[in-house]
Amino acid sequence: MKIKKVRGLFFLIIVLSFFSCKKEATRWQSNWLLPVLNDTLNLTHLYNDSTLSISNGQIEIDLSRTILDLTLADLVQIPDTTISQEYQSNFTVNNVTPGFVFVNTVKVHDLELGDIQLKQVRVQSGQIQLKVYNPLNTAVIYQIQLPGVTQNGQVFTQNYAVAAGTVQNPTVSTENINLSGYDIDLGGLQGLEHNKLQSKLTLKTDPNGPSVSIYNNQVFKFEASFENLRFDYAKGFFGSTIISGQKEFTIPFLDKITSGTISLPDLSLDLHIENGFKMALRAQIEELSALNTQGQAIGLSAPSIGPSMFLAPAVGSWNSLQPSTLDLHFDQNNSNIKSYLENLGAFQQVSYQLQPNPWGNTAAGHDEAFAHSHLRLKMSAQMPMALNADGLSLQDTFDLNFSQDLQRSHITGATAVLTATNAFPLACEIVLYFMKDGQIWHTVVADAQLSSAALGQIDPLDGLLKKKSKINIVLPSSLVADLQELNEVVVSATFSTTDPNTGMSIMQSIQANAFLALQMQLQLQTQMRP
Amino acid sequence: MRILLLFLVLCLQSVNAQQSMFINSYGGYNSSGVRREVSDAFFYGGLIDSLAIENSYNKLQQRNSFGLQMGLNAQWQSPWTLAKEKSKWGSSYNWTFGAGIHQYAAIQFSKDLFGLTFKGGQPFAGDSLQLSPLNAEQMIFSKIGLGCYDPETHSSFLIHFVSVQQYLQAEIQNGTWYQDPSSAQIELDLMGKANLFGNKTNAYGVALDIDYRFGDNDTSLQAKEFQLLIQNLGFARSSQNDAYQLDGHLSFGAYSFADLQQLEVSNIASQLLDSLGYQKEFTSTWFLLPTTIQLSKVLDWQSPQRFEAYYGALFMLRQVFTPMVYAGAEYKVSTKWHSGLGLVYGGFGGLRIQAYSALRWKRSELCLRSDNIALQNGASLFLQFRCDL
Repeated sequence: MKIKKVRGLFFLIIVLSFFSCKKEATRWQSNWLLPVLNDTLNLTHLYNDSTLSISNGQIEIDLSRTILDLTLADLVQIPDTTISQEYQSNFTVNNVTPGFVFVNTVKVHDLELGDIQLKQVRVQSGQIQLKVYNPLNTAVIYQIQLPGVTQNGQVFTQNYAVAAGTVQNPTVSTENINLSGYDIDLGGLQGLEHNKLQSKLTLKTDPNGPSVSIYNNQVFKFEASFENLRFDYAKGFFGSTIISGQKEFTIPFLDKITSGTISLPDLSLDLHIENGFKMALRAQIEELSALNTQGQAIGLSAPSIGPSMFLAPAVGSWNSLQPSTLDLHFDQNNSNIKSYLENLGAFQQVSYQLQPNPWGNTAAGHDEAFAHSHLRLKMSAQMPMALNADGLSLQDTFDLNFSQDLQRSHITGATAVLTATNAFPLACEIVLYFMKDGQIWHTVVADAQLSSAALGQIDPLDGLLKKKSKINIVLPSSLVADLQELNEVVVSATFSTTDPNTGMSIMQSIQANAFLALQMQLQLQTQMRP
Repeated sequence: MRILLLFLVLCLQSVNAQQSMFINSYGGYNSSGVRREVSDAFFYGGLIDSLAIENSYNKLQQRNSFGLQMGLNAQWQSPWTLAKEKSKWGSSYNWTFGAGIHQYAAIQFSKDLFGLTFKGGQPFAGDSLQLSPLNAEQMIFSKIGLGCYDPETHSSFLIHFVSVQQYLQAEIQNGTWYQDPSSAQIELDLMGKANLFGNKTNAYGVALDIDYRFGDNDTSLQAKEFQLLIQNLGFARSSQNDAYQLDGHLSFGAYSFADLQQLEVSNIASQLLDSLGYQKEFTSTWFLLPTTIQLSKVLDWQSPQRFEAYYGALFMLRQVFTPMVYAGAEYKVSTKWHSGLGLVYGGFGGLRIQAYSALRWKRSELCLRSDNIALQNGASLFLQFRCDL
């Protein structure tokens, strides 16, 4: 009986000793503050690059952009071309003595250049690859001359001693030669033709070799391949082929605008067309149109949009070249330029035509172009940087990739605290849309707006009108709990230039040295789990 | 451990000579300032509410301690003498066998570190926090050994083979935290080191348990018997453990737009560790076991006095553990039931109330004791059972 009692007692002790049951995880809440962003946005880096300038304490847009710039290399090109010249005896020649010259002929080659008729060019860059084949059973000295190709008065000449070969396996010698700086006369033997390239092949048996026989099945050949030729001078007739093009480009940020309007001050826009070639030119801007993110398209309407314009040839020579120019002016009196820009078209499209020698070869093949000849289309505009924004909404989407293990320490809530000092006359409201596969799950609205500088006071230290704001963007625990499910966040910022007195949107100028200083901290509510 | 206990139970059933079985299990935790609601959550789970954290924080001193001890010891005092012939030395001693498992955890920490850990950094923005000194140690080990036992005086001596299952020793010699209230920039200085290993590492050692009784053990009124109890006096060595070291300064501030665009979140942690001079290496470590030395008055069951005073002191060879003293009075309810009530001061906590009850039958004795019956910043429970067979 006693033994039973002892056994029972031991059993109880063992059970008590090992009995331990932890029902749920240990956890507590703590609050953390994390620095995220501290930066200042300003336009300083845009000054003096012909985009922004300061005038009377206000920023002015001084826009000067080259839309199109064509050079000689774009207009006149010789495609990669291979010419060859060969010699084959009609009969067998026995006992050819060493040092015997048995070929000495000139051949003229035609270049396929369409309607372009070139008489002379100078190579800016490019190369020629020479390849010679020797089927004779003794070494042969090849002399290759390109009679129209000269440098400093010296004709392009290359000599090769090519080792003995056979008819079946002729010995091949290859060499690449840089042609930069060479003048090429394409006028043919008499200098009166165009697009003609000459070559001369001279063959001599090895002076120190044995006497050999030349048979009628032995083909002596050279090939010359012109590659990647670009010119810095050309003369001839540059043709009348129409160069038509369509350029599409997206203006940054404008593609993020989803709604709202802006109003701009009166402004003008100038287009400058420059012809640096000594040839007549026809230019035509067929269409300039813009499409905004709401799908509204607008074309620039002006008398000079559509019809052809003619430019005279440039005058002068290398150092005295004077391009001919044509200036087009667009303002609210002769165009819809203001509406065009206020449409905030992110997707711009310009269609144009350029035609050299619109009346044919009236210069009798005396078109000329130099290294610094350009066909340019430049745009310039100058206006005070001011705008009237009314609910102008910029929206951008960012990928979201956030994961946390809810069984470990994790974030349960967060508040982004944005402290801003704004010297721009724009107020901004921020809304965040948290989405899963394009579906909005949570919408977070900032508790205040980033106030416009117009509501602030002048800082005596720098004379700038500034306004400080503090914005809390609260991410509730329900959102944080879903964060690992979400994969996109859309940040929507709505700007307006509101008059502090009337509450209406008004035209506001950007003061010089305006900036937006932003500091963002993240207040995190965390559940700690050791 | 379960197998060991079963083995001991079987031994009890198979041996009929004079022998004793002694089982001592204990568990307790205490802190100089952290309230029990906080500690309990680590044992039983659950949410630590902010009020409990705030109350604990307000009670903390600049230096604080928290400690935990749990364990189970079993000792079988065999009927076999060391020497059969009475003339030989050892004939008055019996063989005794023991085994046990112990867990020891203690931490000494600053008030600021507690606040930063449990409240987060935000409430302390603008304050310079002292994270040092921090000393933390945690150890789980088991032991099995043999020795001798004097049935007359109840003194015993055991030598144990020790196997350490878990070990952690960490300290921060210098640590400061400052978060700028306006920019939220964090400045952190840390100098510290840590050694740790788990079950996969081999760590073995030896330990001595000594129970020495001295003084008078007769039943006269003036007679006083004392007990010097030394447990886990020994050391162990790990063959290979992780050793970490930090000595650096971290300045974590806000990013610029350009930085944010190039930011790779996955690299942040390694960059922060690099700036703190983080180093890790594998090494072997010698370390002392958590030795306890207790000197106490032994209570006399046979004393005719209804009330009897008891007192004692307990030391542990650990920096975190302050010497503990206790004293109280025992009331003999009956010849089979004694109870005592007293005060304890020291150890991992402050002043607290101690109570116990002991029951004695003809061949067995059971004692239930708590060193913290008011559950002041902790809890404590001792269960001792002795059985003569």
